[in-house]
This record gives sequence, C-alpha cells and structure tokens, in this order.
Amino acid sequence: MIRNVSKLLRKTKEKKPHIQNNYQDSKPEDPLNGEFSQNVETLRLIYDNCSDVMFRSFLLFGKTRAMLIYIEGLSDIEGIEEYVLSPLMQESANVPQPLNDFLVLKMPVSKVKRVKMIADCIESISIGNPLLLYEGESDGFSLGLSKWEKRAIEEPVAEGGIRGSREGFNESLEVNTSQLRRIIKSPALKMQSMKIGKYTQTTVAIAYIDGLVDKTLIEEITIRLERIEMDGILESGYIEEMIEDNPYSPFPQILSTERPDVASSCLLEGRAVILVEGTPFTLIAPVSFFSLIQSQEDYYQRFMIGTLIRWLRYIFMVLSLLLPSFYIAILTFHHEAVPTALLLSMAASREAVPFPAIIEALIMEITFEALREAGVRLPKQIGSAVSIVGALVIGQASVQAGLVSAPMVIVVAITGISSFMMPRYIAGIAIRMLRFPIMLLAGTLGLLGIIMGVIAIVIHLCNLRSFGVPYLAPLAPLKGKELKDVLWRSPMWMMDTRPSFTGKSNVYRQSPEQGPKPKRGSETE
Amino acid sequence: MEKGKISSLQMAIMLYPTIVATAILGAPSITAKYALNDLWLSPILAALIGYATVYIAYKLHKLYPKQTVIQFSEQIIGRIPGKILGFLYLFFYIPITGEILRGYGDFIADSFMVNTPIIVIMASMVILCALIVRGGIEVLGRAAELFLPVFIFPICILIILLSADLDFKNIFPILGDGIMPPLKGAIIPGGWFSEFFLIIFLLPFLADMKKGMKYGMVTVFAVMMTLVVVNLIVLFVLGSTTSSKVYPLMNVSRYVSFGEFFEHLESAVMAIWVVGAFVKISVFYYAAALSTAQWLNLSDYRPVVWPIGILIVEFSFWSFPSSMEVSRYDIIAFPFHGILMQTIIPLLLLVIAFVRKRNKGTNTR
Repeated sequence: MIRNVSKLLRKTKEKKPHIQNNYQDSKPEDPLNGEFSQNVETLRLIYDNCSDVMFRSFLLFGKTRAMLIYIEGLSDIEGIEEYVLSPLMQESANVPQPLNDFLVLKMPVSKVKRVKMIADCIESISIGNPLLLYEGESDGFSLGLSKWEKRAIEEPVAEGGIRGSREGFNESLEVNTSQLRRIIKSPALKMQSMKIGKYTQTTVAIAYIDGLVDKTLIEEITIRLERIEMDGILESGYIEEMIEDNPYSPFPQILSTERPDVASSCLLEGRAVILVEGTPFTLIAPVSFFSLIQSQEDYYQRFMIGTLIRWLRYIFMVLSLLLPSFYIAILTFHHEAVPTALLLSMAASREAVPFPAIIEALIMEITFEALREAGVRLPKQIGSAVSIVGALVIGQASVQAGLVSAPMVIVVAITGISSFMMPRYIAGIAIRMLRFPIMLLAGTLGLLGIIMGVIAIVIHLCNLRSFGVPYLAPLAPLKGKELKDVLWRSPMWMMDTRPSFTGKSNVYRQSPEQGPKPKRGSETE
Repeated sequence: MEKGKISSLQMAIMLYPTIVATAILGAPSITAKYALNDLWLSPILAALIGYATVYIAYKLHKLYPKQTVIQFSEQIIGRIPGKILGFLYLFFYIPITGEILRGYGDFIADSFMVNTPIIVIMASMVILCALIVRGGIEVLGRAAELFLPVFIFPICILIILLSADLDFKNIFPILGDGIMPPLKGAIIPGGWFSEFFLIIFLLPFLADMKKGMKYGMVTVFAVMMTLVVVNLIVLFVLGSTTSSKVYPLMNVSRYVSFGEFFEHLESAVMAIWVVGAFVKISVFYYAAALSTAQWLNLSDYRPVVWPIGILIVEFSFWSFPSSMEVSRYDIIAFPFHGILMQTIIPLLLLVIAFVRKRNKGTNTR
C-alpha cells in the first residue's frame, strides 16, 4: 500500500503534456537564383507597400543591368553616390572580368559581403546595408554602408554620480560595445551576438571576459536567450523577465545599468553583460542582493566614506521597509515601548485625527507613491507644479485640517527619502512594494506581524538564486573572505580576490600585499 | 529526497538557536527551583548529555553515512522492529514540535498579544516554517545564518545595559548545599541538550562530513556557555527570586533603563524569541517531515510538509489543555522522554550495531 501511495505521489509530479507551439519564425528559405529579373521581382513582392525601401536600377559599366536596394534613412546616401554609383556607372569599353571578384576587391567600401539566400538579403537590407544585384550573377552583394541617426553619448540620467566617468550607454548597440571595448582592451573580452524577435530582429550581445567567467554561465544564458520566441524586444526589460530564475519574485535577479564603468567592473568580476539594441540599459548576471545596493562611487571615493555610506544605505533600506510599520505597530499595540514623554507628544498630535494609524499611514504612503509616479511621467515644466501641490497638500494642509498627524508626515517623508537612497532604481522598487504588506501585518499583529513579515522576506531571499548563485551570497551562505565587499568596503589594495559564483575560476585579481608603504625622507637608503 | 548540501558551520548555526531559543527563557527558573543560587553550574553538568549525544550520533553516522535514524534503525534491528522504532521517533518529533509551538504561542499570547487568539499566533508561525522547510535544508541553513546576529546581538546589548543592576554577591555561597542541587537542576536542561540528536538528520547532508563531530561539539560548548552566562545574569539581577518567575529573562529585561530612553526592552526579547523559535520549530519540523517521508519510503518529503504542519498545530492543542500542562510536561516528562528517545535509544542502537558488526566480522573469518 505504501508503495502505491508513493507511486501516486510520484505520478502527480509528472509534467503535463507539452502544448504544441504554433509560434514559429517563417523565414523565406529560398536561395537567390541566376535570373536577375526574377530575384528583383521576389524582393519587390517582399517589400510590397514599403515606401521607404528604394529600388535603384542602373547599368553596371554602361552594359549590365543592376539594382541597388536600400532603405531610406538607414543607409549612407552620400556614400552610395560617391563609392558605389559613380565608380560603377562609369561607362567603359572593357568590363573587368570576372565581375564579382572585381567588386569585392576594388570597390572602396569597407565591408562587402556576398549573400546567397533571400533571408540574408532581407537581413542585410533591414540593418541598412544596401544590396547590390546584377544580371548574370547568382549572389547578391551586401555593402557595409549603413548609417542612421543616433543619440550622442550623454551622461547617464538614472545613475548619476559625483566622481567617475560621465559617459552612459545609448540606444545603439555598436556604440555600447565600443564603449566596453574602449575600457577593456584585452582580446579576452568576447561578445557573442544573436537576433531575437520575429519582427524586430533585435540584436542581443552577450559580453564576457574569457578566463574570468564560468563557461557554464555563458551556456546557460545562451540557452535561456535562445528559448525566447516573441514578436519583438523593445527594451532589455523584456529579456530580463524572460530569463529570470524566479519570475514571481519582487526582487530583481538581474541588474540593469546604463553606465559602461559599472558594466566593465562586473565583467572584470567574472559576470556576464547582456547588451540589447535599442536601449541604454544593459543587463548584468549573476547578481546578488548586495550588488544591487552598492554604487560605483563606493569604489571611487576613499574607502572609509565608502564604508560609512554603505552602512547608511543599509540602515535606510531597513527604515524604508519598516519605519511606517513600526510607527503603526507602536501606536496600535505597543505603547509601552516608547518613552512616556514621546508617547504623550505623539498622542497629542493624533488627538484630532479621525483614522486609525494603519488607515492614516496607508493614505499617506499611497498618496506619496502617486505623487512620485506623477512626477516621473509629467513633462518637466509641470513637474514643479506637482511638487508644490504635493508639499502643500501633504505637508501642511492635511495636518492643519486634522486629517493626518504631523508625526505621520515626518514618518512618510523619512520613508520617502530613504527609498531614494537605493543606488539602483530597480532594487528600490522591491522595497517600496513590500512596505505595504508589512504595514498591513503591523496593523493587525503589531510587532509580531512585522517580525513575521521580515522572516517571510528572508525565507524568500534565501530561496532565491540568480543564475544559480544564491541571492544573499556572501552573507548566506557565509563566505568569510567576501564580506570585505559587503560589511565594509575594503581599501583597493586589500581586494585581492574576485567574488566567487558557481564554478571555480581565476581567483586573484591583483597581486596581494600592495598596500602603499612610502618611505619617509629620513629613511632613504 | 534532499539534494541540498550544507557546510558544517551552517549545521552548527542551525543547531545553536535550536537549543538555546527555548532554553534561555524557561531554563533559568526551572533550574533555579532545584539548584538555587548554583543554577549557573547546572548547564555545565547538563552539557555532558549534549556531548554524549553528539558523540553517539556521530558514531552512528559514521557507521551509516547518508542515512538518518529512520533508515538505519531498520538495518540495525531488522525491518519490522525498525519500522516500529521509526514510528516511535515520528511520534516523538511531531508532538514535540507541537509542544515547542505551544510554548511559543503561550509566551507570545501571555506576554504581548493578550487579546489575539493563540491559534493565529501558532498558525502564522507554522505557515512560515512550512515555507522554509519546503525550501530545503540549504535555505534553512542560509536563513539560520542570517538570523544568528539577530539572536546574539540583543543578548549582548542586554548584558551591557544591565551592568548597573548586577549584584555579584548573589552568587555566594557557591555549592553551599553540596553538589546535589546543581545536579538535580541539570536533569531538566539535560533534556534540552539531548535535542542535539537532531544532528543525525543534518549530518547526511554535510558537504564536509569530517568536521561534523568538531562543529557539533563546538555547538554544545557554545550553548553551554550561553546558558551559563544567561543564568548568571538572571541570578545577579533577580537573586533568590529567580525560581518564582516564569520567564526570568523577560523580568530581567524590564530592569533596563538607560538615559531614560532605552527602557522596556521586552520587545528585543520578543524579537529574539520569535526568531529563535522560528529556527527551532523549522529544524524540528524539517526532521519530522524528513523522517515521515523516509518512514513511508517516499521519493520526496515536500508533499508531506503541509499535512505535518496541520498535525503539528493539532498536537499543540491535543496534548496540552492549558499552558500549565505545557510547563508541567517540560519539567516532569520531557527530560526523561527526551533523553530516552534521543540519547539512550541511540546508544542502544550504537551498541547493537557494533555487536552485529563484530559478529559479522568473526563469521566471515
């Protein structure tokens, strides 16, 4: 009987039958054929009703019929005129033979690639490389003359700083990879690229440093990326949600940054960076909880202030999560925990307030979140109006009207400020969201409820992994050596080892014992 | 069954709150009833049981690595008697988890949440514990690591803040009535120390098995020292009235008054207690779930976690009609029940296993 039960239990674990996947890429798989007019006709049919695709027909050396296909605005028009059309349209008596070799060897264009398949032609055209076809040749020629408008490199908006590089990533993948390459010049920096998205065909590049990264990590990332089949990738957030370990967690398991220096430091620690075309935000994996609340500037400033600021951040992270809940719990259940004088002044200010503490806190917190959201989306000119209205309504009027007590305004303000202390916006979001359930717990079970909530969050964090790396490492599981970058920020000359993730890799990142030992003047030998 | 691996340090960090959590609250007054002002000597004597239990468990583990007591008892004393013994262990660990849960619920309900129904307090705790037990031993180990500072810092702060109220004369006379009072007082903490037998459920999952013995012994020592310090503090502050208090550490924490601001540190004691009870119940719960699954030959223990959670809540009500009964069980029955199940029976198993092994050796020769 026992066997039967266990069999039953085992059966329930078996997977449901796999649902047939109807979503597949339907790429034209035909090759180009020798017939020039037929090829052109095929492409014309494919680009039916595409007014931005240009078909420029001309005579190659005055004799052979040829066609140049490109998209307006994606290709360098001046380059096409100067390096393609004008030399090729020159009438000459003797056409160089063979023509295809001549084109590859003599055309003054940096990148010329022969393409054989219709699909490759389409790809070449859509990334802006003009396609050249001519009579009597079965291959097409993809000319590297793509050029489009892009934003200049600017200061990263969401991750500012006082000291350090002011360059940020932008929307162009080539610019982003070149920025990484400019920082890490070693050929060990590898970039593997692939295309994702049925319609957008977005280029996604995985960057890593060979020898520092765990090979299985790259394999895992590649597998997870290749799994993605969707219409389009508009932002790296799409990819982030598709490749996370635990999609139902409020905590981000992948770091996103728009700073090349942050991405490079992660590469040097043996992490992988995923760059996505069309967004300045690159993804970094694996990450731990603590890398989400560290800022690049912790390392650029002197180590003492780095350590102190880090602790300030830890304290305010806890405040941001728990302060309103503590206030609610104390007002509702634990009057005895407050010194009498403080309790009296709090009680006096709450005298006129008609709501219980939990309702009061919820109203204020939700209003604050709304104000913040309004401030982000609004045009800058109106933004100041919101802040004035917010300050007046929340800060003064509601207290004077007796709807909200003044201590509550202080609590909400401190909570708000502390939630801005998170150097990574995405990490702050998790804390912001979790504040509300804990407030409800505090309103119903008091201090016990808060402890329960915190225990539940800790359980969740202990369960969480980012690409196989425990989320709370190096604190739990405890790795004594790596606490140097968590509990305090060691001086540069003491950070000899890289953080360890899954595999065993190159441990040392600098030669040990490099502490400065300057000789004094009198001790000169 | 369980694929996770923990380090022996994690095992120690899991076991330390498991034993200390309940012991620091209840033990001082119970010990003081028998040992009077020699109560700080009792943990030292009681720790002998801890050392013996860890030693026995480790020796059994050496004979049958990768197995827990449920599995190897079948090999030592035969299939049917082994199953019966396994059932006895189930019937020990599930109700004892219920008893711990009840102790936790009573403490919270009596001291802090007077109007909250005890079932809410207990059920919320069991839900949390079930979540972590389902997460597996790795998650349990990591959570214990995170909670250890929460557990130790408040005690240290308490000791520092209490330094003004300490009356060191309370310790005299040392051994005024001979060795018997502390010896009697050691019997009850001995029950707590026998809980170190839980190590048998953790040893098979150690990544570094050789250090298991060392860290087990270190944990016993750490628990002993903590209890000695707590008993001394309680004695220094409360003196001869210690035995009349139910939770002496709570009473002690009320003495704290520092700059008229740091008062009423009961909440700190509650934080210690909730976190400690959480780790303790989780470890017991894990042992109960794992042994149930092994006893039923299941391939995974996770399906039985929720049902056992319900059983634990039920047992915490069925076994004890009132909180008086809980403390009566703690004083009268548990020291003997616990030591019997967790120290004496394993010792017998070890002896039988050794004898059988030797017989086998001579037979083949």
